[in-house]
Amino acid sequence: MFVRNVAGTPGPPITVPTQIAKKPKYRAAWSRAGRLADQTWSFIAMATEESGDAKAEPALSSSTNRSQKASEKPDYALKFTLVGHTEAVSSVKFSPNGEWLASSSADKVIIIWGAYDGKYEKTLYGHNQEISDIDWSSDSSCLVSASDDKTLKIWDVRSGKCLKTLKGHSNYVFCCNFNPLSNLIISGSFDESVKIWEVKTGKCLKTLSAHSDPVSAVHFNCNGSLIVSGSYDGVCRIWDAASGQCLKALVDEDNPPVSFVKFSPNGKYILIGTLDNTLKLWDYSRGRCLKTYTGHKNEKYCIFANFSVTGGKWIVSGSEDNLVYIWNLQTKEIVQKLQGHTDVVISAACHPTENIIASAALGNDKTIKLWMSNY
Amino acid sequence: MEGDGSDPEPPDAGEDSKSENGENAPIYCICRKPDINCFMIGCDNCNEWFHGDCIRITEKMAKAIREWYCRECREKDPKLEIRYRHKKSRERDSNERDGSEPRDEGGGRKRPAPDPDLQRRAGSGTGVGAMLARGSASPHKSSPQPLVATPSQHHQQQQQQIKRSARMCGECEACRRTEDCGHCDFCRDMKKFGGPNKIRQKCRLRQCQLRARLSPVTPSESLPRPRRPLPTQQQPQPSQKLGRIREDEGSVASSAVKEPPEATATPEPLSDEDLPLDPDLYQDFCAGAFDDHGLPWMSDTEESPFLDPALRKRAVKVKHVKRREKKSEKKKEERYKRHRQKQKHKDKWKHPERADVKDPASLPQCLGPGCVRPAQPGSKYCSDDCGMKLAANRIYEILPQRIQQWQQSPCIAEEHGKKLLERIRREQQSARTRLQEMERRFHELESIIARAKQQAVREDEESNEGDSDDTDLQIFCVSCGHPINPRVALRHMERCYAKYESQTSFGSMYPTRIEGATRLFCDVYNPQSKTYCKRLQVLCPEHSRDPKVPADEVCGCPLVRDVFELTGDFCRLPKRQCNRHYCWEKLRRAEVDLERVRVWYKLDELFEQERNVRTAMTNRAGLLALMLHQTIQHDPLTTDLRSSADR
Repeated sequence: MFVRNVAGTPGPPITVPTQIAKKPKYRAAWSRAGRLADQTWSFIAMATEESGDAKAEPALSSSTNRSQKASEKPDYALKFTLVGHTEAVSSVKFSPNGEWLASSSADKVIIIWGAYDGKYEKTLYGHNQEISDIDWSSDSSCLVSASDDKTLKIWDVRSGKCLKTLKGHSNYVFCCNFNPLSNLIISGSFDESVKIWEVKTGKCLKTLSAHSDPVSAVHFNCNGSLIVSGSYDGVCRIWDAASGQCLKALVDEDNPPVSFVKFSPNGKYILIGTLDNTLKLWDYSRGRCLKTYTGHKNEKYCIFANFSVTGGKWIVSGSEDNLVYIWNLQTKEIVQKLQGHTDVVISAACHPTENIIASAALGNDKTIKLWMSNY
Repeated sequence: MEGDGSDPEPPDAGEDSKSENGENAPIYCICRKPDINCFMIGCDNCNEWFHGDCIRITEKMAKAIREWYCRECREKDPKLEIRYRHKKSRERDSNERDGSEPRDEGGGRKRPAPDPDLQRRAGSGTGVGAMLARGSASPHKSSPQPLVATPSQHHQQQQQQIKRSARMCGECEACRRTEDCGHCDFCRDMKKFGGPNKIRQKCRLRQCQLRARLSPVTPSESLPRPRRPLPTQQQPQPSQKLGRIREDEGSVASSAVKEPPEATATPEPLSDEDLPLDPDLYQDFCAGAFDDHGLPWMSDTEESPFLDPALRKRAVKVKHVKRREKKSEKKKEERYKRHRQKQKHKDKWKHPERADVKDPASLPQCLGPGCVRPAQPGSKYCSDDCGMKLAANRIYEILPQRIQQWQQSPCIAEEHGKKLLERIRREQQSARTRLQEMERRFHELESIIARAKQQAVREDEESNEGDSDDTDLQIFCVSCGHPINPRVALRHMERCYAKYESQTSFGSMYPTRIEGATRLFCDVYNPQSKTYCKRLQVLCPEHSRDPKVPADEVCGCPLVRDVFELTGDFCRLPKRQCNRHYCWEKLRRAEVDLERVRVWYKLDELFEQERNVRTAMTNRAGLLALMLHQTIQHDPLTTDLRSSADR
């Protein structure tokens, strides 16, 4: 039960088929919302533009060169294939300083690769069961890994040693995240709770009884004040990091299991992936879905998605049809599909400074591919 | 009173029948005491009980008695005679009785005790030799030992007893049990617990630890039961156990599943191992001591109907062996150990046989190059050599290619590493120069001190200047809290501090090993805490005392103007009197030493960093790393994904 395989767990498999059956009506509703959302989106975007916020949401303004840039397509090409894992890869993440790529796998190890040349650097051993997720600390010196052996481990990358083991969950730990200050770690688990841990001592500070189904994703926002958590019960909750209070719950009409959540780099929007082949961008303060990205296949696995902000503004996600999908953030159209993997692409990560995408695939493939683009 | 209800006969025979006299405890015997904690014998006529001590009948004698009447009854009725047992049955009884529960059934002797309480307390209600109120509280019914004297019965008994003793040692915990647990598979098969009576074995907890044998193959040897077709003979165990086994040793069970005919074809080797269960083991088992999945016994037996009883049995056997090995660590008794060794020995023989029996032709071929022998079970090779040869071939084949791949593009991390190493080396250099600087200062200081000592003593007027000013004020010592004269404050506080510090220890486990360092740490070994004192040697109050100052020694502290400028003069006061420069040499030395220690620490840190970088560099492109990982380049032109080639 290492990879985010929903099949076999109670709940989601039962709901998903009905979702598919209801698809047409579903789509229509969304597209309606989508259109409206587009208008509000542009409004918001312009507002943010005025306020000088230039991060992930470029304005859909009338200026021509902006729209040109926005409609350009990236030309990601396969540069490296990193072979080395002996089981399915579950997650890849670039280090914040851009030098390393960490990959976790079902073979219970984490491998660190050079981000620019794809060369093997070192292996971190220590877990007893498959690893589901990893995350870097902000200074790129530490990693946290979440594993099926119900623990999280904090690693010192330089020495390769495990610094601390965080015990407390009663079931598989599925997702983990450092806060921007890297003094806290949050983890979501199959025991339906989210735990906040202190890095220094390794103790659990808070347990949020968050959901009624396994928690599939947790994320801090850019200043560490908010936490978003998504779960198979279809609800995304936003919590105040300091007090642990739930501030908001985002539920859509039909509540398909949530497989992935992430804050946007400026912290205003949330990207939510659900197991009905949809990615949505929500404005959480208004509680409204702004953009919807479809075309890929996501019904079983908890596939990572990312904001690509180094060149053009894209949404990058893996898919169960062995391709990496790239959408234009504004126009929602698919701008590129990267082919090369031979199994479900479970994770796609974007380099913090360069136009590099790393994608990882499951058991039939077991490789990580590095793609580079000029824009 | 308690005695009345259960007494089958009216309690008025004999004059000793005054069991009710208003007291709580019924009284017995000629002594009229309620004591029942000793051997007692009951009169078969009047049902009065007598202490063996009181009427001079020992337990041993009583064993030989079949019918006994008390003196009064005999006197009253001359027909009543004490009858003794047949010699043979006496022996038999004595054999059996050693350590076994007293019986409660049978003829004349086997009557219930005077009152049910007594019976309970006594543990059984028998007459002769049975009033052993020793705490065995289980009324047993399952050892029907009719010791009544009929010849045919005797004969039968003999046979039965022979059989029994062949399967029961009579001394172990299991043999001493008197009642069935009612929960194990064998009990639940019993008619009295509602079972179909197909298995027909003793309660699991009552299987003798030494002699029992759950042997379906030789049923005539054990209990008399008709032969049954094979499956039931093989004593199907509850499947929950199997469920666990499947989890534990899935391979065994699954291989068992694959070959049912073979399993049934070889019942003998299997049945031999099928244990004498260790009842403690079994109890632990029931209590879930070994089991994290819960009690296997308690649930239904319908869970895995597809599995043959034979397979279950085999799987059980293996698990028992495993458990047995675990248990053997705990138990130390000789006889059990011996038995277990025999068990293990058998198993070792059985396993390879069974493997052969299992896969005569289906063992895979060894993967060694050019080798046609079959592989060892559980391995891919027939021997170590083959495995090594294959590994070597693999390395020869794959490694050059990987090395080439690695060298195709420059490794960025390697470059970083090299730069880091350079930086570290530079820092090490600077640290070493600082160290030299420190050494120089150290020597300088020593020379100053030496020079200062040579000064002549001179009483100066200047030194007494500030005396009269501050005699009114009182300073409080930091360490002891007493008020002190500011003039002698420095001196006092130094001494006070040393006093308190000398009572504490400050050390580490490792002695200092620095080459070229003259005097740094105190390093005195403390045997109690097994540490080496890590204070500066010059400062350590615990292990060095200030030397006594001779009267004519001069203070000699170099005088300064405005704190920093040396005047070239030295303080001429005698050391004993000088209050301004108390211990100046010690403090200055300590300063220098501290600096030196700091530099050494820094060097240490740099060494550590260098070591890390070097290991990372070696491991990055080491044999293991190259063999296990590979980076395939798809675009020969792009070796570096950085857009700008700086850094």
